[in-house]
Amino acid sequence: MREYDIVVIGGGLAGLMAAAAATKRGKKVTLLSLGSGTLTIGGGIVDVMGYLEGGIPAATPSAGLLQVGEGHPYKKIGRPAIEESIRFFKEICEQEGYSYIGNLDKTQWIPTAAGTLKPTCLVPKTMDTTELKKADKVTVLGFDALKDFYPSLIAKNFKKIPAFAQKEYEVVMVDPKLSEGRDVTALDVARWLDTEEGLASCIEKMRNVIDSGSVVIIPPVLGTRPDYAVKEKLEKALGCHFIETASVPPSITGLRLRTMLVRYLKKNGVRIVEQAIVAKSIVEDGKCVAVITEGVDRERTYYAKSFILANGGFYGGGLLAEPGKVIEPIFNLPVEAPTDHELWANYSLFSSEAQPFAKLGLDVDEKMRPLDANGKVLLNNVYVAGRNLRGYDFSFEKSGNGVAIASGYQAAMSV
Amino acid sequence: MQKTTVVVIGGGATGVGILRDLCMRGVDAILLEQQDLAYGTSSRYHGLLHSGGRYAVKDAEAGKECIEENTILRKIGRHCVEQTEGFFARTHLDDEAFEGKWVEACAKVGIPTIPISVEEALRLEPNLSPKIKSVYRVPDAAIDGFRMVWQNVASARKYGGRVLTYTTVIGIEQSNNQVVGIKVRNTLTGEVSNIACDFIVSAAGSWAGEIAALAGINVNVQPDRGTLIAFNHRITSRIVNRLRPASDGDIFVPHGSITILGTTSASVNKPDDTVPNAKEVVELLNIGEALFEDIRSYRMLRAFAGTRPLYSADPNATGRGASRGFVTLDHAHDGLKGFVSVVGGKFTTYRLMAEKVTDLVCGYLNVKTPCRTAVENLVEDTSPALMAKARLYFPAYGAELAASRLGSEGLEKVIARIQEKPEKRQLLCECENVTMAEVEEAAADSTSYMISDVRRKTRMGMGTCQGAFCTFRSVGAVDANGLSWGKDTNVLFKEFLQGRWKGIRPILWGNVMREMELTRGIYEGTLNINGAIDNEGI
Repeated sequence: MREYDIVVIGGGLAGLMAAAAATKRGKKVTLLSLGSGTLTIGGGIVDVMGYLEGGIPAATPSAGLLQVGEGHPYKKIGRPAIEESIRFFKEICEQEGYSYIGNLDKTQWIPTAAGTLKPTCLVPKTMDTTELKKADKVTVLGFDALKDFYPSLIAKNFKKIPAFAQKEYEVVMVDPKLSEGRDVTALDVARWLDTEEGLASCIEKMRNVIDSGSVVIIPPVLGTRPDYAVKEKLEKALGCHFIETASVPPSITGLRLRTMLVRYLKKNGVRIVEQAIVAKSIVEDGKCVAVITEGVDRERTYYAKSFILANGGFYGGGLLAEPGKVIEPIFNLPVEAPTDHELWANYSLFSSEAQPFAKLGLDVDEKMRPLDANGKVLLNNVYVAGRNLRGYDFSFEKSGNGVAIASGYQAAMSV
Repeated sequence: MQKTTVVVIGGGATGVGILRDLCMRGVDAILLEQQDLAYGTSSRYHGLLHSGGRYAVKDAEAGKECIEENTILRKIGRHCVEQTEGFFARTHLDDEAFEGKWVEACAKVGIPTIPISVEEALRLEPNLSPKIKSVYRVPDAAIDGFRMVWQNVASARKYGGRVLTYTTVIGIEQSNNQVVGIKVRNTLTGEVSNIACDFIVSAAGSWAGEIAALAGINVNVQPDRGTLIAFNHRITSRIVNRLRPASDGDIFVPHGSITILGTTSASVNKPDDTVPNAKEVVELLNIGEALFEDIRSYRMLRAFAGTRPLYSADPNATGRGASRGFVTLDHAHDGLKGFVSVVGGKFTTYRLMAEKVTDLVCGYLNVKTPCRTAVENLVEDTSPALMAKARLYFPAYGAELAASRLGSEGLEKVIARIQEKPEKRQLLCECENVTMAEVEEAAADSTSYMISDVRRKTRMGMGTCQGAFCTFRSVGAVDANGLSWGKDTNVLFKEFLQGRWKGIRPILWGNVMREMELTRGIYEGTLNINGAIDNEGI
């Protein structure tokens, strides 16, 4: 029987950050991962707090943090730990050669593929908007056959944004000749740019349509690797600035972030078990002894002193919804939810209110340990992080990844 | 001012059937629809082309009409009909005495019922509950309500028919007790205009009472609300009816890769009371379990509700107590000439209703051309040469689907778009196999004003992901073609996703919940289509 200090359940951002923070503390960590969580969905950008209740934009992420309601995970974690977690995250990125820009005291409004702006906190350098703000003329570059990017949509909608209305927009296209009868995603284009020939070919094609010195908005295709090599080479060859947009999945920025964090964890001795479906737990005297995975071959038991539950919310499968009822399948932890299913969701999908169902989740104490309805700690050595926490709607408030980083960090520091 | 001979109100099956019939007989006609074609009842039902078995016991006349029309529609509308056949299955919960009565009633009106053993039924439909007691085969079929409506319009247009969508009727103009025109409002622009006409036919379904009221005439239509569930599986290859007197939740209808379970029945005050709720869904699942025991293990796509326009001369009859037969009301008897309402009926008999109404109108107009809607196909079959061409541009399975959806003319146009820009063969909607070219073609039609209109013409957004991916692409593609219909694209996003949400909200659990987290993550979290445009940070 091998016993670890910590078993982290979940390979999304919360789990990866928890594992990173735990190894930094010298713990022996195993990470059980079933996939990449939401990192490859939209996960390359770190939102911390964009909108408050009522749909009012927070002045800064930091100001937003102070204004969240009682049940919010940020309230439990507390500001100092949130600040530390962000610092720690940025340190890792820096160290791994894929640094992120931004801080808690400034909202970064970044361009999206829908031609809107969204408020966020930390972004990779490929999304730095400094040059975009300064530019009088903006080029929006699309790729023929890339069905997930419509440059005219961006150009037209930017004209409607007061701060962007005075700029001149030009739409240009580059044909990567990747289609050949199959569908093309941003990942295909990014992989094309990963190769030397692809990059050279792309530079040639871009030279024909963009002028030197241009500020160019492009889909997130600047390579799949967590570095800035593609961006730098393109910019050097063309004398331009490239700015990636927040886009629909697959999220290349999220893929880069995951690749980088996994590499960091492996370097630091974290054992990562892929395709691990954690099915149940062994609990004795208010403590978890082990968790059991079900694989294609057989059950495996993972013993540890502590466990961090970061297996996601409804999307990741960490929480299961039934009519009027929510189940946490591994520890059977209680989730308070309205029994009248009609109360789970608003009539409007988009409004100035958060969705009640999005806020359903596990209640925890300030150490991230699960609580029962009376506020009593249920399991002394289990800590919860990420999307399965109650009290926040990441889509509405734009706090996705911020809560993951802060709660993952806090869980690891509490162990 | 526009002029026409006949104005038809209502872009559902009956209305478009009448438009087609009138135009085929050489009568100039305009059809008005308050929303998009097939927005109302014609798309909010289970899509069953009745054999008549469901009505045989209680309403022999309706049963007879069904089997006759069923036979006709299988032929003229073969691209809208999937000839699945149907089962009537008696479960262990149902009264045995009803079975004999039912067999006898079917025989009387000419509906073939072939008894088969439970063992054979289970071999043909392995998901059926092994507890069922007896099974009969009947000539039920599945019919695509959207496509049927759309193809009727396509056919009517060939004969000169005109269609105005998003046009609501606000007045009926009369002079000396004779209809002389109609006053309408464009619901998108608010613009009010008049159309001069000699005749008005109201085929407004659940809204027929409201239309008649504009002329001060009382038509007693009681909207009866039915909720249905669409499952993301072909649970059954045949339609499965429960062999018992008509009641809630006793019909399963397969359509392509999905199955629809319906329906509930409840009288409502408003014809557009179409928001389903979670309680109805849970009830339907409970009832559905008798035919398919593991119904809860199938993934639901959405729930939806529609209102049946039940007509009764007796204002007290409601719900299943009211007849499913139809009635043509010539309001000359109420003192207004040139105004007819057609009420009651059901989708299966829409063509017959249209024929009767058109006969009446033609009588007044002294038009002698006979009705040919029972013999002329809605759309022409795609020629082998065109199919061969289509296969060059569509994946094999996609070519057949596109040909059925578009008819040969539409298919030609979509192929031309792909020839011009080959990357438009890419699937904009992977779930329903809809190419970007097809979406562009549907969007360019004069009746399209928003993405939901494109959806009803193509099925984009109706599959597993319920628009998670194709909403973005369709808005992008429509906008790139200069076709955002004067709307802010964020409005287009919201309108479409809110439409999907209406059906998702009452089933928000299991995998549907996962899907919704993804959809919100994309549109609210990443693309911020709900966010403030005002951004002081910049």
